[in-house]
Amino acid sequence: MAGLTRTAGAFAVTPHKISVCILLQIYAPSAQMSLPFPFSSVSQHNRLGLYLLSITKSCNDIFEPKLEELINQLREVGEDMGAWLTDHLINRFSSLASPDDLLNFFNDMRGILGSLDSGVVQDDQIILDPNSNLGMFVRRCILAFNLLSFEGVCHLFSSIEVYCKEGHSSSTQFDASNNKLGPLTQYDQMDMESYAMDKATEELELHKNARGSVPFHLHTAEALFEVTEGLLDTRKETSRTSKKSTEATAVACASSSTLEDTLVDDSLFLRTNLQIQGFLMEQADAIEIHGRSSSFSSSSIESFLEQLQNLAPELHRVHFLRYLNKLHSDDYFAALDNLLRYFDYSAGTEGFDLVPPSTGCSMYGRYEIALLCLGMMHFRFGHPNLALEVLTEAVRVSQQLSNDTCLAYTLAAMSNLLSEMGIASTGSVLGSLYSPVTSTASSLSVQQRVYILLKESLRKADSLKLRRLVASNHLAMAKFELMHVQRPLLSFGPKASTRHKTCPVSVCKEIRLGAYLVSDFSSESSTMTIDGSLSSAWLKDLQKPWGLPLISKDSDSRKSSTFFQFYDHLVSIPGSVSQLIGASYLLRATSWELYGSAPMARINTLVYVTLFGDSSSSSDAELAYLKLIQHLALYKGYKDAFAALKIAEEKFLTVSKSKILLLKLQLLHERALHCGNLKLAHRMCNELGGLASTAMGVDMELKVEASLREARTLLAAKQYSQAANVAHSLFCTCHKFNLQIEKASVLLLLAEIHKKSGNAVLGLPYALASISFCQSFNLDLLKASATLTLAELWLGLGSNHAKRALDLLHGAFPMILGHGGLELRARAYIFEANCYLSDPSFSVSTDPDTVLDSLRQASDDLQTLEYHELAAEASYLMAMVNDKLGRFEEREEAAALFKRHIIALENPQDVEQNMA
Amino acid sequence: MVSKETCRNELRVAIRQLSDRCLYSAAKWAGEQLVGIEQDPSNSTPSNTRFQRGSSSIRRRFSTNESISTPQPSVGFLQAATPLPEEDEAIDGDLYLLAKAYFDNREYRRASHVLRDQMSKKSVFLRCYALYLAGEKRKEEEMIELEGPLGKSDAINRELVSLERELSALRRTGGIDSFGLYLYGVVLKEKGNESLARASLVESVNSYPWNWSAWSELQSLCTSIEILNSLNLNNHWMKEFFLGYAYQELRMHTESLAKYSYLQGIFSFSNYIQAQTAKAQYSLREFDQVEIMFEGLLRNDPYRVEDMDLYSNVLYAKEACAALSYLAHKVFLTDKYRPESCCIIGNYYSLKGQHEKAVMYFRRALKLNKKYLSAWTLMGHEYVEMKNTPAAIDAYRRAVDINPCDYRAWYGLGQAYEMMGMPFYALHYFRKSIFFLPNDSRLWIAMAKCYQTEQLYMLEEAIKCYKRAVNSTDSEGIALNQLAKLHQKLGRNEEAAFYFEKDLGRMDAEGLEGPNMFEALVFLATHFKTHKKFEEAEVYCTRLLDYSGPEKEKAKSLLRGIRMAQTGFPTMDLEHFPI
Repeated sequence: MAGLTRTAGAFAVTPHKISVCILLQIYAPSAQMSLPFPFSSVSQHNRLGLYLLSITKSCNDIFEPKLEELINQLREVGEDMGAWLTDHLINRFSSLASPDDLLNFFNDMRGILGSLDSGVVQDDQIILDPNSNLGMFVRRCILAFNLLSFEGVCHLFSSIEVYCKEGHSSSTQFDASNNKLGPLTQYDQMDMESYAMDKATEELELHKNARGSVPFHLHTAEALFEVTEGLLDTRKETSRTSKKSTEATAVACASSSTLEDTLVDDSLFLRTNLQIQGFLMEQADAIEIHGRSSSFSSSSIESFLEQLQNLAPELHRVHFLRYLNKLHSDDYFAALDNLLRYFDYSAGTEGFDLVPPSTGCSMYGRYEIALLCLGMMHFRFGHPNLALEVLTEAVRVSQQLSNDTCLAYTLAAMSNLLSEMGIASTGSVLGSLYSPVTSTASSLSVQQRVYILLKESLRKADSLKLRRLVASNHLAMAKFELMHVQRPLLSFGPKASTRHKTCPVSVCKEIRLGAYLVSDFSSESSTMTIDGSLSSAWLKDLQKPWGLPLISKDSDSRKSSTFFQFYDHLVSIPGSVSQLIGASYLLRATSWELYGSAPMARINTLVYVTLFGDSSSSSDAELAYLKLIQHLALYKGYKDAFAALKIAEEKFLTVSKSKILLLKLQLLHERALHCGNLKLAHRMCNELGGLASTAMGVDMELKVEASLREARTLLAAKQYSQAANVAHSLFCTCHKFNLQIEKASVLLLLAEIHKKSGNAVLGLPYALASISFCQSFNLDLLKASATLTLAELWLGLGSNHAKRALDLLHGAFPMILGHGGLELRARAYIFEANCYLSDPSFSVSTDPDTVLDSLRQASDDLQTLEYHELAAEASYLMAMVNDKLGRFEEREEAAALFKRHIIALENPQDVEQNMA
Repeated sequence: MVSKETCRNELRVAIRQLSDRCLYSAAKWAGEQLVGIEQDPSNSTPSNTRFQRGSSSIRRRFSTNESISTPQPSVGFLQAATPLPEEDEAIDGDLYLLAKAYFDNREYRRASHVLRDQMSKKSVFLRCYALYLAGEKRKEEEMIELEGPLGKSDAINRELVSLERELSALRRTGGIDSFGLYLYGVVLKEKGNESLARASLVESVNSYPWNWSAWSELQSLCTSIEILNSLNLNNHWMKEFFLGYAYQELRMHTESLAKYSYLQGIFSFSNYIQAQTAKAQYSLREFDQVEIMFEGLLRNDPYRVEDMDLYSNVLYAKEACAALSYLAHKVFLTDKYRPESCCIIGNYYSLKGQHEKAVMYFRRALKLNKKYLSAWTLMGHEYVEMKNTPAAIDAYRRAVDINPCDYRAWYGLGQAYEMMGMPFYALHYFRKSIFFLPNDSRLWIAMAKCYQTEQLYMLEEAIKCYKRAVNSTDSEGIALNQLAKLHQKLGRNEEAAFYFEKDLGRMDAEGLEGPNMFEALVFLATHFKTHKKFEEAEVYCTRLLDYSGPEKEKAKSLLRGIRMAQTGFPTMDLEHFPI
């Protein structure tokens, strides 16, 4: 069947290859050649050779340069011989007037190959070894030409015409009426071109003379370029093409612009199947990495893909890329359509390197991969139930067809789904689930299922040596260990050990196991990736050595440098691997955040951003930025945070639901709360809630966040009972969806609410419960803050508890001062002062600095945070203390500060205006 | 109602004009319609009358109650009488005559070269048309020459650009007639400028309505009813033909049938109308009628190949092997390299169970016409039979990509995935096919079956689908039976009884018997017995007694139980006593 398996079409002769052949003829002229180019030095000759070597390598790329680009490159490479080379090239092309000339040309090409046995070689003749790279290239060209039918020769001939015409029409603007070019007008243009070049070299000579003895290799290429640019001013706009890069956007731009010119872009010569696959893989990476960044336009890549599809209707992988593209631009229907189309056509056998092809695809196709992809797509678009159904089917089908690899991936996807999407523990969905893996333990909770799935997937991946999957499973495991208390799956009798604590050591272990990937990724990476990225890597190399000023004339050293670059590409880490390792750093940051070490979290995030920022997917990069900005807001105040946010906003698209938008709302809300602008806070809170999807179990994190903030807003507005209601229902939700860590903070909030409403007795159990939650999940910072609240509650019971409160506080002090944010620290300081002041055994006059120091610290922190309410309290206390001590000047100062904060608190609009 | 005489006169002139411009297929069509008008009594020849008598007798055979000869009452709108255009050149130039001769010999470039300096509208048209055809021919050749490993098919008609430039310039200056507009429309359509193409074609048919090629190009640009309604077309009897055709392609079969039956009042013997009517009837699954119509058609026009693939489908559905082989042989002798012929032969082999050969012929059909929709779908069916699911899926997908409204191919895709044990994945495709044909019970039943599979086991959804199937006249009665069983399975005995009774009623009406009947009777008898409705239960039991087998014994014991209960014995389950 067409489309199932088509062998790659090998090597086809194209106009560009003929150009290369012409240049090769110059490099190694045959004995009969009439006009050999007089190379001025050996190094010059070698340079041309090196250039040809790299250009023959890059012939395996998908796009071939146009004649114009080739000329530009020649100009940069060839220095003073560049003009001559260009001239010769163009003349040679213009002498190809009929198909017969082509035939003769290739006959001539035979002459430059040395035969293996002939001993008669003239001294000065350069012979191409037929087994060398260049020799092979020539032989392949000749062979490919000989295989062509007459029709093929005709087509080649007409494409040469187009190739030359394009080269000229872009470099010289001629009257449009000359459009029906015969060879005659074409020749005119060529004259024009060579005239321009002559002119250029002349002027160059003048320059050189004027400057005296300038070492020519430093300036020539550039100078020549400048001069010619002046003469042919249209070069300027097209010079961008000389910096041809394989980066997706550039290619897409270039091709889309040519799309406007002609219906079919003739410059797009298709290469072998394998290379296109590799290229498409790169594009896929590009889509993932740049999916959300503003510099990336999905429409340009779409038009490019459309064009590719027109050219190669049997290349089904294009559909997959379109699916990816649509997925990242959140177009559900188009994504679904393209996904299904891809699998209908390719049966999942084309282009997937999950499975090495040697294992053989059954005649049933690999539709289970379709299910896996579909499931992940539903997951991404927020249809967890659909996704679960599809993935269940995927499990079943891959078990049926015993595709263990797909099974391992599916299980991983499933566990990911289950852990990310809030699926109520009542589990109506899972009840109807028929899954051989999970059905063994149908009575298990969601968490236990996730655990089983992960373990199973890990085991399978390990035995199949899927390193990447193993690594990502380890990471998922680490995440799981971080968030959940391990309980034995089946407990027998009273002696069954029940450990009610998470285990940071195992988290650490899993993360490290995940990161080991970097050492042995190479065993899995398929040849295709290497091939595809290499062929374009060669082109990248092309720009590098020639663009640099040529410091040493010694060609050997340059050769080795190119070699090392080449080698470099070989060992460079594949994008997916570095992404995974990057993810492990992000996870480290997150876990430190939870465990309560701000510096460690920050360091890990910074490591991520600096080392993996380039290769990471845009959503991961977004997350890293988010973490850094949050850190700034907590420890450096809002001004810095907002400045950083601005930078991040420029980098990432702020489409709906993007993390950056969320962060912005969060920051605005926080700040409004601190400034006392409750109206604004309320609005932000509502907007935050509005971002979440209405579907059950989707966007749980966001929903929890929104209602937590709602409760806090209500608390700030002193509507205690409502705040308590919201918090209570939030606690129920958290319980239902098993969000343990969130439970701890909700409990703390409840304690806070009771404290503020003056019901210290009611608050105590909540605070204690929160502490115990924190203990079992090792949330040290949260625990410290809960301890602070507990102490405050004790003090609220009466001043006779001041001692106990102080003890509690001092216990938590190291944590708070070491890792706590500005607000927490200030609160602790103020509370300490409060404790001392209310302690009857403490007298201010004997030891004023204990109190005043703390208050001063608190007031400084709060200034940067713009937290007026607490700042006012601090200044008030300061004023009182100073009053007691009789320091009137300082008292007045503190009082003025107090007044300023109170005014700011009462007129929040001013602040907002300032902010805007 | 336009008079037959006008039509006749208009068509006669039009045929001459069309063939003068080498628009042969339009001329052919017009000629068919001209002959399709009831015989002009003034110049009837014996052969003509024989020909017509035969066809009318066929028509009478299948539609006796409807009188054909009396014209339909006028629909009551004014037909704008379009005056026939004057020939702009009374005598063709010598060069034109030469060019036409070249053209007729298919030497298109030569023809256009001869006319290079002629400025009359007619010559300009012929020159452009010849150029267009030359480009098309070259394109076809290139398609084969250039086919790369990945099916690279960037062959384009290289004349399009220059043609478009010239024609648009001519159109601006008014130096273009309606034929030129038609060509302009075609060129624009090829270049992908659909709205402009539509406008140009509308202009063309409004000024010269007898060019059927223009109408059919216009139809291919009407992909939705909204577009069709937005066209600003003059009233002319040709418009009725167009509307009938357009409605049919938009799957509005009853509307299209109405148009055709109106037109039949004038063109009583038109083969075209008869074939189109048959097509519409085929879509409405009236196979018997369609078969009769095609038989008539073949008798009138024995060497016809057009639309015969449809006839073969009907024969296939009716499993008429002999007739199908006769048809295949006939078209094979007429013209074996027509896609339709290959398709018919493929159908024949498929019916014979020789699927490999069938696939070979469908492939040949596709080689001749890559966009031949039904061949892709039929090939998909063959692959399904051969258990080569990936190939089947590929074939179906190609059909769907050619025409996304092809519900058969969507259905085939669903079926193929279901076969592979991916019912959830298949559901999407079934949904697609139902979207395009919501009133077909077969599709609903297929979807319900999908829900019913043990992997999904979503019985509620299955019930919903079966209900839809019942509502859209389920001829085979699967849905009722399944509904009853599903309700029984879910323990909803009231509903189950309701549907069993309904199913029983259907079977009685159609005079069917079988295991379904026993099942229904047994269930109903036990159901009514447990609900103490003894009379009903007795009725069903006695019906069961008419049959032999285990059901009879069951009925006996049930009856015994009923008697026992009625006579006031303590309710005991007698069946469980060892007797």
